[in-house]
Amino acid sequence: MNGANALLDALVAEGVDVVFGYPGGAIMPFYDALFGHATTRHILVRHEAAAVFAAAGYARTSGRVGVCCATSGPGATNLVTGLLDAHMDSVPLVAITGQVRAELMGTDGFQEADVCAITQATTKWNVRVTDASQIAATLAEAFAIARGGRPGPVLVDITSDALKAAVEAAGPPRRFDSQPGPRPDDEAIRDAAARIRAARRPVAIIGGGVRRGEAVAPYRRFVAMLGLPHCSTINALGAGEIDDPHNLGMLGMHGHKSANRAVHGADLLIALGMRFDDRVTGKPDKFARDAAIIHADIDATEFNKIITADVTLHGSLETTLTALMAELERERVPRFDDWAAEARTLGGPLPSDRVADHVLSATDVLDRFFARVQPDAVVTTDVGQHQMWAAQRARPNHPRSYTTSGGLGSMGFGLPAAVGAAFANPGRAVYAIVGDGGFQMSLTELATLRRYNVPVKIVLIDNQNLGMVRQWQELFYSERYSATNLSDNPDFGAIARAYGIASYTLDDPAVADTTIARFIDAPGPALLHCACHPTENVWPMIPAGQTIDELMEAKA
Amino acid sequence: MTCDVSLRDSRTLARIINLAHRFTCDTVAVDANKSGTATRVRFAFEGPPIALQRLRAQIDRIIASEFAG
Repeated sequence: MNGANALLDALVAEGVDVVFGYPGGAIMPFYDALFGHATTRHILVRHEAAAVFAAAGYARTSGRVGVCCATSGPGATNLVTGLLDAHMDSVPLVAITGQVRAELMGTDGFQEADVCAITQATTKWNVRVTDASQIAATLAEAFAIARGGRPGPVLVDITSDALKAAVEAAGPPRRFDSQPGPRPDDEAIRDAAARIRAARRPVAIIGGGVRRGEAVAPYRRFVAMLGLPHCSTINALGAGEIDDPHNLGMLGMHGHKSANRAVHGADLLIALGMRFDDRVTGKPDKFARDAAIIHADIDATEFNKIITADVTLHGSLETTLTALMAELERERVPRFDDWAAEARTLGGPLPSDRVADHVLSATDVLDRFFARVQPDAVVTTDVGQHQMWAAQRARPNHPRSYTTSGGLGSMGFGLPAAVGAAFANPGRAVYAIVGDGGFQMSLTELATLRRYNVPVKIVLIDNQNLGMVRQWQELFYSERYSATNLSDNPDFGAIARAYGIASYTLDDPAVADTTIARFIDAPGPALLHCACHPTENVWPMIPAGQTIDELMEAKA
Repeated sequence: MTCDVSLRDSRTLARIINLAHRFTCDTVAVDANKSGTATRVRFAFEGPPIALQRLRAQIDRIIASEFAG
């Protein structure tokens, strides 16, 4: 066997069933090994950027490590954005890149790129392998690092001569058993419990850390035990019971008013697996200024980075919440139902721009779509206005059912992420909600949908603008619409049909429900092209760097 | 701020210097010595206190990741 076979065996040993990738010179030995392989399936995407986003979609919606591969040079560098996207959102990935022969490294050889240097700041770890005998052990370590602690992406760069070199059949690969994670300090748990007992207006915030481990169930028990009002960042939508009246929804710049106002008025924040991103805090020194902060996270780096915590709980969320509940149950368990009921009244309906009756409104389309979508469906989004409208309206009941590029905000994410989600969740409906800008960054993946008959359904919110940038230009740049007009968009329906994808056009509000129903019921992949009003904005909005006091519900 | 670390991967030295730059800190001294499989490094950084605090936390995280396996 050769190094490429050893690589494939190592992937099989990790339980990898799907690899998203794109071939090229330096990675060819691996593709040769993959040819006709019995258990590991290669999915050919149409750009390496889509490979890493698809692997992320697979990982985000399954909890397993996503795997992608690319060749050296441009193939490897095309992975960079997706790797950073995964790094920002703590998504476990292993990216495998071919590298030029070892003797050519450093000579500016054809398709040579120092991808380890390039990805130093975009990965949790990277490594170059030049010795075929090290491939199996290195892969095992890469997977352990990707999934361990706070998850993240790992890049393994393997020279083509190592992939081709003969190697002894590896025995059972070295196992990297999960190290026991940190357990929160007992004194800190007692302190946190005492602060919860003493609080009058506590609010829990859950972040993307809930995706790690089995934190959802203990989180739901925790908030139910206390009758606690709770909300989530965009990366944790679905963590709270969607029908729980104490669930205040999404926090942040375009979050629900009740969530933002309750947090602003809280006297105690219980922040769980979230990192106080600037889209959540706005102006940190004014954020929840009357609240004490309990901050729980697996990554101590997040403590006191943006917001100073009064109590830090370093450990996995499931361990932390279990310990906290046990401590609370040692005495009378407080209840906060009255405060939760008051917090619910702080919101009100989502504001939206009025558009003429005969013009399609994006918010109306998404309201109607989410009213019909299957409860167990997986939804991915791209980045922009539609992302926020969808986050406000989606009703996921598990954090792995709804995924979006939260931290990095990478346009082009939505469709390839849905491809990965579909392979991770066979039999479940998968929807990609995209805008006309982001869709044009990755629409070549329609070919992937067609080739594998992946039943992803695409809701295209086409407002002929880079809408979020346009909105900021309208509100903050004196209506100087620089480079945001997309009124010369192509015929998206014709593009879909050219790829062999069914296409539905929706431009008349009167037939919205029937068209959406036909689209949802269509077999196989399909595109719903929604020709929407061009200047509808996302409300509410807390302008960047400001506070809830500056919340906008319409243009001034 | 001085910072003594033991690196399994000597490339991490460069990563830490780049991190310092990202956090608006200056790397004012580096003393590195390979010893067996580890590289022992003493860094000295200057910068705003909050930036130095974040840098220190990130360095700890990187070192922890290096030995996560």
